[in-house]
Amino acid sequence: MATRKKSLLKVIILGDSSVGKTSLMNQYINKRFSNQYKATIGADFCTKEVMADDRVVTMQIWDTAGQERFQSLGVAFYRGADCCVLVYDVTSPNSFKNLDSWRDEFLIQASPRDPDHFPFVVLGNKVDMDNRQVSTRRAQQWCQSKNDMPYFETSAKDGTNVELAFQTIARNALAQEAEVELYNEFPDQIRLNTDRNNRNGNADNCQC
Amino acid sequence: MDVEPPTNYSDSASMQSNSEYSDAECEPHIDENEYFHDTEREHNEIAHSVISEIREGLTPGTQNASNGINGKNANTSTNVHKSVSAESLPISNSTSTVSGEIVNSLSAATLDEGDDDDAQFDYMHDSVWRGQKKHIFILSEAGKPIYSLHGNEDKLATLFGVIQALVSFVQHGQDAITSIHAGGIKFVFLVRNTLILVAASRTNMSVAQLQLQLSDVYNQILSTLTNKHVTRIFEKRKNFDLRRSLAGSERLIYHLLSNDSSNKRVTNNVFTFLTNSIRVLPLPTTVRASIVSGIQSNCSKIKDLVFAVLIANNKLISLIRMKKYSIHPADLRLIFNLIECSESFKSSENWTPICLPKFDMNGYLYAHVSYLTDDCQACLLLLSVDPNVFFTLSDAKRRITDKLRSTKSLEAISREIEKPTNGGLNLTAIGIPELRHFLYKPKTAAQLLCSELMPPYTTLKEFERLEGIYCDLLHRIHNSTRPLKLIYEVHEREVVLAWVTAAYELYAVFEPLVDKCAVIKNVDKLIKWIEKEYDVFFIRNHPTF
Repeated sequence: MATRKKSLLKVIILGDSSVGKTSLMNQYINKRFSNQYKATIGADFCTKEVMADDRVVTMQIWDTAGQERFQSLGVAFYRGADCCVLVYDVTSPNSFKNLDSWRDEFLIQASPRDPDHFPFVVLGNKVDMDNRQVSTRRAQQWCQSKNDMPYFETSAKDGTNVELAFQTIARNALAQEAEVELYNEFPDQIRLNTDRNNRNGNADNCQC
Repeated sequence: MDVEPPTNYSDSASMQSNSEYSDAECEPHIDENEYFHDTEREHNEIAHSVISEIREGLTPGTQNASNGINGKNANTSTNVHKSVSAESLPISNSTSTVSGEIVNSLSAATLDEGDDDDAQFDYMHDSVWRGQKKHIFILSEAGKPIYSLHGNEDKLATLFGVIQALVSFVQHGQDAITSIHAGGIKFVFLVRNTLILVAASRTNMSVAQLQLQLSDVYNQILSTLTNKHVTRIFEKRKNFDLRRSLAGSERLIYHLLSNDSSNKRVTNNVFTFLTNSIRVLPLPTTVRASIVSGIQSNCSKIKDLVFAVLIANNKLISLIRMKKYSIHPADLRLIFNLIECSESFKSSENWTPICLPKFDMNGYLYAHVSYLTDDCQACLLLLSVDPNVFFTLSDAKRRITDKLRSTKSLEAISREIEKPTNGGLNLTAIGIPELRHFLYKPKTAAQLLCSELMPPYTTLKEFERLEGIYCDLLHRIHNSTRPLKLIYEVHEREVVLAWVTAAYELYAVFEPLVDKCAVIKNVDKLIKWIEKEYDVFFIRNHPTF
């Protein structure tokens, strides 16, 4: 119809356990109104409406939880994502190292059409803590090496950069969506073939 | 009345022709222990962790979930699943059990009493939304909302996520989820192609009946977009928001779903859906014959014209078809639906692409749609495979109308349309005062004759009860594991009868105090009457061009 269609973006949050994925989401969502719902079946689902580029966008956020146990459900959760958020903990070098495999895993499972340009956003969380172990430079370098993924340092605790990060997530996902317009191709004409058995013909009770 | 021993439909036949009834809503026997004995160790582990995860998130004691999941019923799965689930029974058992647990979580989520501050914006905690008798949700495989019968689907995005997770989880076990029964609600799933359709219903409909409804909805989507288009879109982009393509056709889906009592409608229309049939406008045989010949004579030379369909008041007047082609009742229902909810057709000639999925799910037919005249509100559809023949068909329509006018067919149609008893046969014509309502469907055609709704069934509450009686009878008669031939029951408020013979199916509701002899006598009288008038109420053969 004439009205600009509403947009819905599916956002997946990935990362090692206890890097603060759920906390980030909670910080982001609960700061404002949201219709929140939690179901712990391998993932939490949250919805948030945001304004991005003058459009109302509904973000459907899939916060994967206890992921090792739910690896097998990967395809299901990753399928059709518009954006993937990779989260690590700046105080945990391991969680940073694992981002590589999280990213690869996502690309394999979700198999997006254009993997090189799929919108990822990387978040280094827990910057409010003193015992930082992964330097900003190191993280930025890695992000640059992967097609220049946007990088933010956040604190789910005090809210640093959380809003900004999710704004970027929404905008990048939207940009990706806008690239492809409706697939309007002329449909093939039905070919009538007198030999063709009308597939439902003659079956009992099927014809009017 | 002779009771013939029940015969089992062969599975393959019922899958093809009577798929709407092929699911017996039997409660599968699920043994908890069986699940733990599952030799698929890997699978077991996964299931375990999911269960414990779910348990953690459970609100204890809120819902009494049953394990009534027909996950292993191969008949009702989509084609892909049929073979798979038939081969993997042990797995499906365990999966069902797991899903039974998930039920708790889902129903706790949707039905829990919420004391959320955001209640006014939150459908899941909104009593009106939750009180709806029937919900229909359509989503993509990615879990993106496409349609919700009630409420803004955007606001329900989290619920759609949960549905997707449920479906995917069971899929992961090489199985397909069919239904969940919890808290007095049936959750029925239909996974087709790249779409997930779900009904959550407190109505009288059985799982199979709800699945037929979901399949009608799916067909409605295909009718707008074609299967090929939907497939291609999601091949290219799994994250596609199908609402963009369906914009403007939500009203068709809504209308298709709004025929029953859950939408406060008191109408016979729901019975055509329940019996997978259509209704015919009663006309004297000579009138119908002259209408047919009027259409035939003006269409026979038009190349690529596949069907000419004349309908009025949601009933078929005549159908003329190309040799070797026929229309499936599900396709005809889509046509009826389109006409019923397009007022604009009344004021002008229209040219619209329409996909009839049972005819060809991958392509469009092009329909010239117009009402015959201002004084005869019958709607003519001329359906061709050629997108460039508007003017040819427009011309044909004009000539058909002239011809029907000269043979006085227009008047005859109008007379019938304007009869006050529209909506069903007036029972006083037959003279069986004890008979309150009936449905009659011949075996040879997907056409339904039903009587006008009379008191007490004219109020919503009583109609709902009548609908429930028929849902139940139809369900038991067409139960694939144990189909019945005859049901006679004395209820508190009526006597009900269902009777299947080689020639017809009859469902009838009588006054509560009639005895068996009277019922037999009355049914006999009714059948004789219908047989005598058969050609007025039914079309034996649809002629060709």
